[in-house]
Amino acid sequence: MENLITRRDLLKKTALMAVGGALLLNRPVGAWAWGTEEGAKSKVVLIRNQQLFAGGNQPDSDIAGGMLDEAIRTLTGKKNTKEAWASIVKPADIVGIKTNVWDKFPTPKIVNDLLKERVLQAGVSETNVSVNDRGVKDDPVFKSATALINVRPMRTHAWSGVGSCIKNYIMFSPQPSSYHDDSCASLAALYDLPIVKGKTRLHVLILFNPLFHHRTPQDASEEYMWKYSGLIAGFDPVAVDSVGLRIIQGKRNAFFQEDRPLNPPAKHIEVADTRYHLGTADPAKIELVKLGWDEESYC
Amino acid sequence: MTRIIYYLFFTMMCCSNLFASGQKKFPVDSLPETFGSYRATDKLNYIGKELYDYINGGAELYLSYGLVSMTGCKYNGDGLPQVTVEIYEMTSPENAFGVYTQGRDKEAYDYGQGSQSFPDFIFFWKDRYFVTVSTQEVIPESEQAIRYMAGLIDKSIPEKGEKPAIITDLPQEGLLPAGFLYFHHYIWLNAYLFIADYNIINIDENCHAVLAKYGEADARSYLLLVAYSNEEKAMEACKRLQEKYAPELSADNPFVELEDKTWFTVWTKGNKLGAIFNGQTQEKTEKLSKYAINNM
Repeated sequence: MENLITRRDLLKKTALMAVGGALLLNRPVGAWAWGTEEGAKSKVVLIRNQQLFAGGNQPDSDIAGGMLDEAIRTLTGKKNTKEAWASIVKPADIVGIKTNVWDKFPTPKIVNDLLKERVLQAGVSETNVSVNDRGVKDDPVFKSATALINVRPMRTHAWSGVGSCIKNYIMFSPQPSSYHDDSCASLAALYDLPIVKGKTRLHVLILFNPLFHHRTPQDASEEYMWKYSGLIAGFDPVAVDSVGLRIIQGKRNAFFQEDRPLNPPAKHIEVADTRYHLGTADPAKIELVKLGWDEESYC
Repeated sequence: MTRIIYYLFFTMMCCSNLFASGQKKFPVDSLPETFGSYRATDKLNYIGKELYDYINGGAELYLSYGLVSMTGCKYNGDGLPQVTVEIYEMTSPENAFGVYTQGRDKEAYDYGQGSQSFPDFIFFWKDRYFVTVSTQEVIPESEQAIRYMAGLIDKSIPEKGEKPAIITDLPQEGLLPAGFLYFHHYIWLNAYLFIADYNIINIDENCHAVLAKYGEADARSYLLLVAYSNEEKAMEACKRLQEKYAPELSADNPFVELEDKTWFTVWTKGNKLGAIFNGQTQEKTEKLSKYAINNM
């Protein structure tokens, strides 16, 4: 109980700091010193391309591929795409690409295909690559995987606040509902499961047309999606999710023209940092590299 | 001509009732097998936590309001977008209303005892039921179909239910239209603003809580009212909130200005707790608390 926090605690902490009115995880800006230590920043790449949907309602696969490649090159610091992917997976790796298949808002197929293609181009055998979501526990590739790539679209969620990269590993759990307590606060514990631990090489959070609001748990209305035309890549899932969360919150506030916090807050992202030390959610400890279109980026 | 026949069929179907007279539970087999050009393709029937199998973590919202069961059906038709009907039976009308308050943005009554209608989606509450009818894609036929099914289900729920009594304690002056949430699970305490990342006031399934918005977006205050099962629990929660949130608050100093220049107060009256967060001035906070206390 001693580590638990009230709004008042945050107000006291931020009293002398610049508060711009923006909130992260429903918290005043500057409230992130708890549980994190000084150290290297987590690099996160956000890339956007205004032309992604220029051809209609479906993302252009060539543009999406170009965005992914540029993001990975920037993230790894490599000059070309081949070198970049070679630094992520090796030919001997067995690679599980953990996607998300929720029928109302799945990971776009073109992204799954692109990731698989890049893994194959890195020299991994086709028999050693699998794209899966709900069947990961029974998938031979995932069961023997040496490397995981985590990819999913960003959306609001009726119990965990957002569907995030951290949350995307829920299907590795023998009993997903065992992580529901306290609005899924302990989702970061998924990263300690033997089938997952130490294997994730890359997190990609898709924000092509993120869902920033829902009316019921099953709701994914186009009214509450917008063509952000972006994706986020990083090695730190907490940092990736933290940036994605800021974008969702920024859009909610702009759309509703008031502070409209996620309901419930995305506590699991904060807890992944402060309790599980899986990564950092503190914007001050994230090196955010923004590429491409920057209008209304909300971060 | 096809469209006219379609509408005629809808009209004829609307005259029928899904429920046998006097039946309380919503039987999935009573949903029509066909309507218009749609046919039932998947029956939905989940009891309690079985709902995890259908919507995973999203089920917790319904479970936090005492879900009994969900029945429903997916309808498909040649060349038509899928239509999905979900009927959530809750333990009480108050709980069905509570689920409704989670998603509603305006006051409207097209269906049931309160409804929200969109081209792709309708949801409403009536008696112990929270009902959603949705389509994957909006075309005239699918939009008509969801309106038809919403109307059919509305007519088939014979009784109305009472809203939670605690909402009558909310002062009306300054209250945003559709600007309150009824709940009795602590997770929803942070629905409108972050208050605490734990159950600071011991909210449980025996409580009746309402969180309400007052004032304009740039000068928003929040009123929390909670009815506990007895006076001792209310006093205990009040003491805890005071100690953790505003230890400087006292009988002589019941309104505390916080670091962000907003005002806070908390009190009890009988088995009820009241608190105001983000009060804009002391005067406004006093006024709102006074009105609430008078209603409690």
